[in-house]
Amino acid sequence: MYAWDFAALKPYWGLIWQGLGVTVLYTVITVLAGLAIGLAAGILRTTAPRWVSVPVRGYIEVFRCTPLLVQLVWVYYALPVLIGVDMSATSACFLTLSLYAGSFYAEIFRGGIEAIDRGQWEAGHAIGMREGRIFRRIILPQAIQVMVPSLINQTIMQLKNTSLVSTVAVGDLLYQGSVITAASYRPLEVYTTIAVLYFVVLFPLTLVADQLEQRLGAHR
Amino acid sequence: MTQMQPILVARDIRKAFGANQVLKGVSLAVARGEVVTLIGASGSGKSTFLRCLNLLELPQQGELAIGAHHFAFGDGHRDPDKAHLALLRRDVGMVFQHFNLFPHMSVLDNVIEGPVQVKNIARAEAKDLGRDLLAKVGLADKADSFPSRLSGGQKQRVAIARALAMKPDVMLFDEVTSALDPELVSEVLAVIRNLAAEGMTMILVTHEMAFAADVSNRVGFMSEGVMAEIGAATDVIHRPQNPRLVAFLNRFHQRTGAGAP
Repeated sequence: MYAWDFAALKPYWGLIWQGLGVTVLYTVITVLAGLAIGLAAGILRTTAPRWVSVPVRGYIEVFRCTPLLVQLVWVYYALPVLIGVDMSATSACFLTLSLYAGSFYAEIFRGGIEAIDRGQWEAGHAIGMREGRIFRRIILPQAIQVMVPSLINQTIMQLKNTSLVSTVAVGDLLYQGSVITAASYRPLEVYTTIAVLYFVVLFPLTLVADQLEQRLGAHR
Repeated sequence: MTQMQPILVARDIRKAFGANQVLKGVSLAVARGEVVTLIGASGSGKSTFLRCLNLLELPQQGELAIGAHHFAFGDGHRDPDKAHLALLRRDVGMVFQHFNLFPHMSVLDNVIEGPVQVKNIARAEAKDLGRDLLAKVGLADKADSFPSRLSGGQKQRVAIARALAMKPDVMLFDEVTSALDPELVSEVLAVIRNLAAEGMTMILVTHEMAFAADVSNRVGFMSEGVMAEIGAATDVIHRPQNPRLVAFLNRFHQRTGAGAP
């Protein structure tokens, strides 16, 4: 029988908190950037002329259909060779994670926008509104209600996906975990603790999502 | 009434969806204060024609003049720009078969959305206007409700108030009772009847034949993309000339059990 010894982690709690901080920071920044990219790409895919919407679709599908780990490694090692610009591990991670999140958010935004009945556009036009205003005032507020569950779901995935930055030696929670494992020889305790921390951060987010969903749908 | 300068003139409107020529040159002039009803089988082009009158559909050929707005299509004319379309639609109200209320806004906010957003009227002033209009359609007590809490007839009356809030010169009604339960039709028709009595210029597409005969100055029968017959309401409905109109009315009366005209 294995003798669990979580006390062995005591000297490393500073590192663990630091790693958790990095994980949360990467999540917040890349989620915000991803939402901005995704909203822009989602709108362009639904409304822009073909010479814009086709390349946007290309971006979305490249990032959706290749593994994030491959993207990270490629942006960090291959892109600098191609464009001759040195990129730090940090910038490579921010860039890749934001574009990756953006591609998934874009499809959520597109789906939400397209789910709104054409009659809503027509009703806006019929009272003399222009496209941009109809989109902001009529379409987007309704689309967001439809999208909330998917947006939250994708955001939860994004926090977990940041664990891949450890592969290019960015000091997130998982990376610190592997460092501590190497020093303490206590992998079971380390990875159990890390799993619990991911859960503790994410589970409340799902509860907030439920609340939000109910409040937004209150008038239905 | 028809001796007056017409407020709306549509000339030789043509529209095709792909290979399907839906409108094959339809013309109509409507005097201020006149009520014109368009009848016809589904697929006759009457709804498409109505949607060409506020340019929700852009004709490929023809001319449209409403008030001070003038548009020409085809023959090298460019499609009108969106700003000009928006200006036209301020002056032409439309009510849809499926209401198309904004579900995320209260009833009052639905009504004042146009005045506030498009005409930049102050919110407080717009709310007064909105409450007056809701009272007029018999829904003063529903101002703060959301559309999902309303019956179909109430929704359609809100939609009428929303269109009226722009103070349009012309109102278009596109089969506005077709999606309603039979017992809710009369409350919507009563509102339209009141508007007619107030002198609102209206063009209706409807299957309510008795209502059309009663409330309209003129009735037009559309068939296969042309205006097959148009004239005084009682003449068209009770003394039809065009054989296709006779057949249409017979089918209609058989279906409703109302007996031959």
